[in-house]
Amino acid sequence: MKPCAFEYFSPQSVTEAVALLDRYGDDAKIIAGGQSLVPMMNFRLARPEILIDINGIRELEYIKTEGDELVIGALTRERDVEQSPLVIEKWPLLSKAVSYIGHSTIRNRGTIGGSLVHADPSAEIPTSLCALNGKVKVMGPSGEKELAPEEFFLTYLTTSLEPSDLLVEVRIPALPQKTGWSFRELSRRSGDFAIVAVGILLFTEKTGVCREARISMGGVAPTPVRAERAEALLAGQKISEKLIEQAAQQAAEETETEPDYHASAEYRRDMARVFVKRGLQEAWNMVNGGQ
Amino acid sequence: MTDNRRIMVKVNGVDYERWVEPRRLLVDFLRDDLELIGTHIGCEHGICGSCTVLLNGRAVRSCLMFAVQADGADIMTVEGLADSKQLHPLQAAFREKHGLQCGFCTPGMLMTAYEFLNEHPDPSEAEVRKNMSGVLCRCTGYKQVVDSVMEAARQMRKK
Amino acid sequence: MKLEGTFTFNAPQEKVWEVLTNPRHLEKAIPGCEKLEEIEPGKYDATLKIGIAAVKGTYKGMAQVADPQRPQRYRLIVEGGGSPGFVKGEALIELCHQNQSTVVTYQGEGQVGGLIAGVGQRLISGIAKMMLGQFFKQIGKELKTL
Repeated sequence: MKPCAFEYFSPQSVTEAVALLDRYGDDAKIIAGGQSLVPMMNFRLARPEILIDINGIRELEYIKTEGDELVIGALTRERDVEQSPLVIEKWPLLSKAVSYIGHSTIRNRGTIGGSLVHADPSAEIPTSLCALNGKVKVMGPSGEKELAPEEFFLTYLTTSLEPSDLLVEVRIPALPQKTGWSFRELSRRSGDFAIVAVGILLFTEKTGVCREARISMGGVAPTPVRAERAEALLAGQKISEKLIEQAAQQAAEETETEPDYHASAEYRRDMARVFVKRGLQEAWNMVNGGQ
Repeated sequence: MTDNRRIMVKVNGVDYERWVEPRRLLVDFLRDDLELIGTHIGCEHGICGSCTVLLNGRAVRSCLMFAVQADGADIMTVEGLADSKQLHPLQAAFREKHGLQCGFCTPGMLMTAYEFLNEHPDPSEAEVRKNMSGVLCRCTGYKQVVDSVMEAARQMRKK
Repeated sequence: MKLEGTFTFNAPQEKVWEVLTNPRHLEKAIPGCEKLEEIEPGKYDATLKIGIAAVKGTYKGMAQVADPQRPQRYRLIVEGGGSPGFVKGEALIELCHQNQSTVVTYQGEGQVGGLIAGVGQRLISGIAKMMLGQFFKQIGKELKTL
């Protein structure tokens, strides 16, 4: 089908975009990469009366560091995040996660901001943002605010953004030296939505003890989930095969899985367990030299 | 209902100026307004890849863009692959290695492979498989597509 | 899809029954419900405006409080159609008191069809559960107004 007609604006600055959002509110939709929005418009499931195209706001495209934080503009294309030498060197989990998004052609247009605002609980960028303790910066008519993932992701496809808010930036703190990481995803075919996606970070100390663990799971709840009780099992502990299995089992119990055509709720839950286990093994081997 | 917008695009080296409704998809603009029907529409929601074109050097799904978003852009469609004298090595390889049967997905395969080989002139078969998996084909079973891309890569490295 | 669950309310059974069967309260509790208009006793014309992400739709249909056995159980039947598709749901709702609270159990079947069911299949089950959660949360709020 062809999309319904709409009024089209192409602001050249954040101020202009926010003013348009403020004026049109609920009737307007931002278009960035369009890889999620335009399919819905072509199906006529989404019929925004007003489309605000932010692709002209080049000032929102950047990848840099501020201090030791990674700072990425909302309009940055997924492929640029994936291939950025800075990201690959210092936040490789993010690059790996992004490489799972659809296919390269989609990543050429899709943006990091768009993926976050779309808030699909199976999506790689939301899941990895939770693992990395990243934050989003949002501009609204009354100024700017920073939101942590738990304040930002509310439920399926829903964030705490007001109709006149524009997501402008993603900020990710530095990772300590001895960090093991993993990002793995299960899907029927390459490029499909994740059945489960798991991002893991392990911070260790010299003695081979895990100081802190972060386990972020996508596709298992209305938003990405940090398996906090599983993380607590690992914190301060000497890692063993047995402990990894316990943590994986615990993580699976922190899911709220639902069935669909691709996987039953039980299968998803069990795959969460399997992928947390594999991810923990991978992250631990990375930082521990395969012991 | 909404006013038409003027857009200027360069397609396959030729400059065009047209007036379009904002909701006109880029793929429909190319096919209907510019009569470049080499780009195909398979699904209209971004999963089949047969609408793939190059926009400012990057492969994009033209069914997921509006023509107004391409204002000022430099676009290459499948019609732009061959020069006046001969087929592009990719096209020659697809013919040689039977990388097409009905030909519906072929423009998408060619444009996707074009970008891929530009960035990975010496890919492994696994890399070709991975990168081409974004374009759906109902005819070939994909093997001949992979063979064609590998052959094209070989030919292009010779030059 | 199967729909089942339990909610506990800090209120006597009679009050919970009232809120769960009175259209004045149901109108506020059913997500997106703009209007419930009585056609015959227990049967209402419903207009629902539901929006999730960019997908907004108006669904017109019917809600029915069927086979009421006050104050223990009834069947709630809801159906509606709109441009994104149609929804149909039927659930047996049972109430029983537990000390000062009332435990409400629902057990039923839901069906979603049309465009939204095909395109949104991956998320339908979760979203249905989420909306049921919204319904019962709002019921809880309505109870406080009594």
